[in-house]
Amino acid sequence: MLGIVDCNSFYCSCERLFQPQLLHRPIVVLSNNDGCIVSRSDEAKQLGIGMALPYFQAKELIEKNGVATFSSNYHLYGDMSWRVMESMRALLPKGAVEVYSVDEAFISLDHIAVDNLSTYCLDLKNKIENWTGIAVSIGVGPNKVLSKVANRLAKKNKIKTRGVVVLHNTRLIQAALQHTPIEDLWGIGFQYATKLKNWGILNAYHLSLRDLSWGKKFLGGINGIKLIRELKGLQSHGMQAPRTEKKMIATTRMFGRAISDWQEIEEALATYATRCAEKLRRQHSAAKTVSVFLLQKAPKQIASETYYRGQQVSGYKLLDNPSQLSPDIIKAAVEVGKTLFEQGVIYKKAGVILSDLVPDNALQSNLFVPPANNRRKKLMNVIDNMNAAYRGDILKFGTSGTQKNWKMRSEKRSQRYTTRWDELCLVK
Amino acid sequence: MHFIDPDPGEGIATQQINRNYQASQVTQANATGFGAASDDFMERGIDLNEQLIQNKPASFFFRVNSDAMLGAGIHIGDTLIVDRSIPPSSGKVVVAILNGEFLVRRLQIQTHGVSLLPENKRYGAIHVEHLEDYRTWGVVTYVIHAL
Repeated sequence: MLGIVDCNSFYCSCERLFQPQLLHRPIVVLSNNDGCIVSRSDEAKQLGIGMALPYFQAKELIEKNGVATFSSNYHLYGDMSWRVMESMRALLPKGAVEVYSVDEAFISLDHIAVDNLSTYCLDLKNKIENWTGIAVSIGVGPNKVLSKVANRLAKKNKIKTRGVVVLHNTRLIQAALQHTPIEDLWGIGFQYATKLKNWGILNAYHLSLRDLSWGKKFLGGINGIKLIRELKGLQSHGMQAPRTEKKMIATTRMFGRAISDWQEIEEALATYATRCAEKLRRQHSAAKTVSVFLLQKAPKQIASETYYRGQQVSGYKLLDNPSQLSPDIIKAAVEVGKTLFEQGVIYKKAGVILSDLVPDNALQSNLFVPPANNRRKKLMNVIDNMNAAYRGDILKFGTSGTQKNWKMRSEKRSQRYTTRWDELCLVK
Repeated sequence: MHFIDPDPGEGIATQQINRNYQASQVTQANATGFGAASDDFMERGIDLNEQLIQNKPASFFFRVNSDAMLGAGIHIGDTLIVDRSIPPSSGKVVVAILNGEFLVRRLQIQTHGVSLLPENKRYGAIHVEHLEDYRTWGVVTYVIHAL
């Protein structure tokens, strides 16, 4: 059997942990740039504040009900996420935790007898909550899809289930599937849900009665087969070994405001490129390809329900030698950016992506181009160490600029209670 | 135990793993003859985390903003290390939430509610009977005080 541990209203729980005055108050957390609502406490859900609702649409409801509103505090959430995952790694056998997202992890429970699963998971849940202050729900089933089904039910009925649902026999699985609307099933997106409902497949149980060849034909081939297999209680998705090295490194951000000036775009690209190069050096890789994209601001659409995205332009450059040095990455990113940039166009987002990564201790060099010499590598090392020690970019490259007018908006961000000495919580 | 950090965050210094050393990179004895000998006895320096943090994912830092616990050696501006995995029991110094505020006091658990005891005569003991607005947040394990 395996389980999924999922943090309840994760970002809101992080905020509440350090703001005791919010114990029973509704809370929402806004996305990058304060655009949309990305996390809601139970109290906020009860007020009818929808997920992913644009902030301006919910503003009236928020102000009327005194909902505490926060900008995303990724330093805090990142650290709290590490704590939750690390607690599980300490409490479970080696290799039994697969981090799935910032607030979810699959856990292997093969070492626990089926009869003890409920007790074991309740104890695990309590320990994670005690240690980290973050409440979690645990769903357990014979495979990942069914553990997700179980977890959804645990979250929906927190009081009755005490946050743990174990689907350990066919009867329980069947009942759980009947209580899972098709659009809430893991892996079924909005478009598939609409299609399935038209065919009379309204819940997960209906889908589990279909055979595999039907899934192959109507649910996107192999993924459809895997989904139906798991609904029938078989296993298609094993536990994944943790990937310590990323295959691709990207830094993409929305600008704080739309910009049309090349110099500002250049500064943004250089900053993102620096961030990417740092991530690259941290995992001891070098990149061969530097890609850049710019997203244009969408023209205003009147009285329209759907979101219109602006046009996206992108390009890439192959480096002569794989590199992990900021100046090389910045130079390439800015070069590509310059070919994409058009005078008079307004941009709202940009990104730098590094791919074709190779380990830096086995740099494949190009015979005709001299490889980066050791001295530049040492310089990068010094810069990284100083920036790490002083928390922030005290040393940076000229192209990155010093003003950062384009920087993300985060007007309501709370303190970084767990990562900065000068932002610790005060106690009387 | 093998630790895997999903994202080492902003604060991790880069360490190069490159075993293709060149002769010039090897530190050699200098004129004093001291360099090489001491190099052989190099070990990882003392790490305060080993002494002060028993359970890292459950340990948090707080900044003291009151003199209510002066008698316990807790001064304004000190740093508290709080371990949430230690069960709160009578006699322990704790960080607690009361009416929306963080307090540091000595905990006393009674049959009817709990008491939060100061260690400074200018402060009174707080008896909590209605527990709805009370939470023990964590147990204080160390105080870091600058002299």
